Amino acid sequence: MEKLLYKLLNYSWVSMIVILVITALFFLQMKENTRMETNLDKYMPHDHPAFIYSDQAEEWFNIKDGIIIALENQKGVFNSETLDTLKQLTKRFQKFDEIDKADVTSLYTADNIIGTVDGMDVKRFYKRVPKSPEKLQQLKENVENNEMIFGRLVSTDETVTVIIAEIGDDVFTQEFYNEILEVAKASETDDIKIHVAGRPIVEGTMALLGPEDMKRMVPIVLLVIFLVLFLTLRSFKGTLITLGVVFFSTIWAFGLMAVVNIPIYAVSTMIPVMLIAIGVADGIHLYSHLHTFIDHNPTAGKKEAIKDMIKHMWKPVVMTSITTAVGFISLLTSQVYPVKYFGIFTAFGVMMAMVFSLIFLPAGIMIFGLPKARKINKDEDKGGHSHSKLANNFASIVVKNKYVSLVGTAVIIVLSVIGMQKIWINSSFLDKFEEDSDIVQTDKFINEHFGGTSTLNLILDADGKKDVFKEPEVLKLVDKMQKDVNNQLQVVGNTFSLADYVNRMNKVMNADDEAYNTIPDSKDMIAQYLLLYEMSGDPENLNKVVDYDYEKLNVMFQLKSDNSKAINSALDVIHTYEDDFNQLGITLNYAGSGYKGLVFTDLILEGQIMSLILSLIIIVVLLSVMFRSIGIGLIGSVPIIVTALISFGIMGYLGIPLNTTTALLSSIAIGIGIDYAVHFLEQYRHNASQTDDKLVAAQKTMAHSGKAIIYNAIVVIAGFLVLLFSVFPPNRELGALVSLNMFTSFVGTLTIMLVLLYMSNIYFKKKKQTNKS
Amino acid sequence: MKTLKITLAVTVFFLVSGLANQMTAQQLTGREIIDKVYNLPTGEDQTSDLTMTLINKSGSKRVRKIKQFTKDMGDVEKSIMFFTAPADVKNTSFMSWTYDSDKSDDQWIYLPALKKVKRISSDSKSDYFMGSDFTYDDLGDRKLDDDTHKLLREETIDGVDYYVVESIPKDEDYMYSKTTTWIRKDNFIGLKKEFYDEDGELLKILKIKKFEEISGFIVITSSEMENVQKNHRTTMILNNVEINTGIPASKFSERMMMRGI
Repeated sequence: MEKLLYKLLNYSWVSMIVILVITALFFLQMKENTRMETNLDKYMPHDHPAFIYSDQAEEWFNIKDGIIIALENQKGVFNSETLDTLKQLTKRFQKFDEIDKADVTSLYTADNIIGTVDGMDVKRFYKRVPKSPEKLQQLKENVENNEMIFGRLVSTDETVTVIIAEIGDDVFTQEFYNEILEVAKASETDDIKIHVAGRPIVEGTMALLGPEDMKRMVPIVLLVIFLVLFLTLRSFKGTLITLGVVFFSTIWAFGLMAVVNIPIYAVSTMIPVMLIAIGVADGIHLYSHLHTFIDHNPTAGKKEAIKDMIKHMWKPVVMTSITTAVGFISLLTSQVYPVKYFGIFTAFGVMMAMVFSLIFLPAGIMIFGLPKARKINKDEDKGGHSHSKLANNFASIVVKNKYVSLVGTAVIIVLSVIGMQKIWINSSFLDKFEEDSDIVQTDKFINEHFGGTSTLNLILDADGKKDVFKEPEVLKLVDKMQKDVNNQLQVVGNTFSLADYVNRMNKVMNADDEAYNTIPDSKDMIAQYLLLYEMSGDPENLNKVVDYDYEKLNVMFQLKSDNSKAINSALDVIHTYEDDFNQLGITLNYAGSGYKGLVFTDLILEGQIMSLILSLIIIVVLLSVMFRSIGIGLIGSVPIIVTALISFGIMGYLGIPLNTTTALLSSIAIGIGIDYAVHFLEQYRHNASQTDDKLVAAQKTMAHSGKAIIYNAIVVIAGFLVLLFSVFPPNRELGALVSLNMFTSFVGTLTIMLVLLYMSNIYFKKKKQTNKS
Repeated sequence: MKTLKITLAVTVFFLVSGLANQMTAQQLTGREIIDKVYNLPTGEDQTSDLTMTLINKSGSKRVRKIKQFTKDMGDVEKSIMFFTAPADVKNTSFMSWTYDSDKSDDQWIYLPALKKVKRISSDSKSDYFMGSDFTYDDLGDRKLDDDTHKLLREETIDGVDYYVVESIPKDEDYMYSKTTTWIRKDNFIGLKKEFYDEDGELLKILKIKKFEEISGFIVITSSEMENVQKNHRTTMILNNVEINTGIPASKFSERMMMRGI
């Protein structure tokens, strides 16, 4: 290996050009073939049983997410102006290419079925906009008396009315959203305000906003890293070459993605994040060694210096890269394809960063020359065996006060484990936006006036037995469950099912007597009511709540929040009815994007925890093999474990929920933590072989590796702190947590790992034995 | 909810003109052609068994069987229908009286489980008939001068000559923006009809699959309406059609609705 690398030094121009050409080719591929995947549905593992069922149910009942267009008039909505605007907007939305006409619902499209003394009356609420006060008053009364409309399409304070336009999974684009906003804005008047909300808007905006924000922030992050790197390396050339390693590995990773035609998912934006954090490390450690060598041998030629660097550093660089890559490869256990891809391509990027560090970086130094030796070193008191007083003192203090580290770590672990209990999982999309953003505010506004912007679909399945959902006892149970969920939970604003239609028809056919707002006791009666509804109302409405053979029922729960706590609270109450339904031969299933989001997040976390454990085991094994000692394997994994624990603990204390982004961050704890540990261990082994004094070995290691680790941490932390200024909250969390992980990794490596290393006497046992004999 | 006059539909809208002057060489206008289609002599009364099958996009079916009676009583047309299947709605009955004048229809429903006859009123002629893809208008409630008719062209398909007539509603808010009908020149049956929605997009296609001569009248006994936007279909098949059997006027009463067939 060394020989090969030495040989390559003679062809530095060739290696440089080959790498640049391949990079250019990948870059072209990237430019041409890269596509963003903004459709969140594409992220879902569609072969998972929960998803298979949900997808089917969405087909059966035409379950889609709805865009909500709310018309607000503080003077009330029952006036010609508002009703006319509602009519025109409804018609306009029916004309959108992206929207099926039948999927647009508003007071204008709705039928009013009411009971009269001798029968029933089916009418549109209005077709021509009512002008006279009497007609407006009549409309107002009709709405107030129809509970399937009042509180659903018109708010109970009568200042807001909504249009609901349901759209397919794949139609949302920025242009479409802009067009909706334009249409809405154009209809606003002095009195009428129009708000647009709904899950498609939230999902779509999020899928666009996250990566866009990253695109804006990454250059700033790179700039800051460049500056700090320059300050630590004190070499412009060195900084450029190190960043080149990061930059090229990122291009290769994304270029390969483009070549194999895999789109960029939202999680893919984490790839450069990882590569920056990891790629910079190799460069810093290499340059750090080079500096030390030059400082000690100011007269050495560049080839000699580089050869020394390669000789000492190729092993730790290869070891860190392999362990890190293996950590990412373990993400293949995830059931979520974007996460798998993230794992593979990050691993590829890490390996490429290794290749560049060992070929491109030396070639660069060969071509552009060595960094200058530092003058200050000549005046510095080298304290005998090392050249940094600070490092020596720090190492002594750590070793002397080893119990501080041990107890401190123990306390931190306990606190973290306690904090972890408070961690909650959140699949919410809305929670990813700023509290005061338009999207959150509109959502809040609509939730205040209506049942809720999020829907949970409970699918009751009688498993092929026909007409089960015409049975009175079944519908009564459904009705009871709906009322129970609605009454128990604040967050559930509305429930809706076939039971509501039957209740309403029973009331209507009994002269609108409220006492009959119940499920009748006879199955034939229910069947006849439903037939009557089909003949008088819009039969499409029934198709959304029950299938053709009355063996599957769709019960809708409207939630005022899309976060996992809200969905789970509803699920908990629903589950108390599971036994009752099972006894009737009915199973409970779920559908809809909110539920899928919940399952999806669980899957990601499950996969993440699996891969975390798996990669820890692999890393312990790898370290043990590399250093030929199980003890080292275990000691080396300590900073990683501590970092991961602290990361989760702090998330628990701060109430940062686990979601797709924050869960993946544990990978970075491993990726970086292992780098620090390996460099430090390798250096320590090397130093231990040259001395009998454990403290000297520790001090030398601290001065050399320790310094590089600190530089590395400072550079990356500074870079990622920039993300705190991001406009997209998940990116802010990312910045804060990456910085935190870097910090704890480096502190953990330099304190508790050193202490454990020191106490274990590894690399010194044999010497003592030989001394005694 | 609108009057349930499947019989009228069959006889008035699609029916053949036995004595039409199809031999006249003079070119008919679109309005004249549709007038012939709409205003054809029918029997005094009709009895039949209707099987209506609704088929949704996934291929599931709902089959409904209905026994129906219709009688033309001069300025009023009365019909009564009894469900015979499925079992849980058996004996559910509907009655409607449709007037030639502008007076709106009278309708009643009887639910055996409720044991009461209820009056129903509705303001829309665009309602779908019993959850099918036919609206009441499609089934023959449409008046000649509700639309402007234009003869587009003449066509020969499989050796049969057709008039192709386009009808555009005068009411701009009507559910169709236009319809196009293929009318057989020899017997004035509207054999195929396309319905376009408010945005001018094809919404539904009606196809006549079978017509028979019964008691001197030609009756369409099998037809299919397909909603191409919703991918939903309805077939209607008439059996045991009897014409001019002399149904008594007393048959069309609330008492008879409750008594069943």
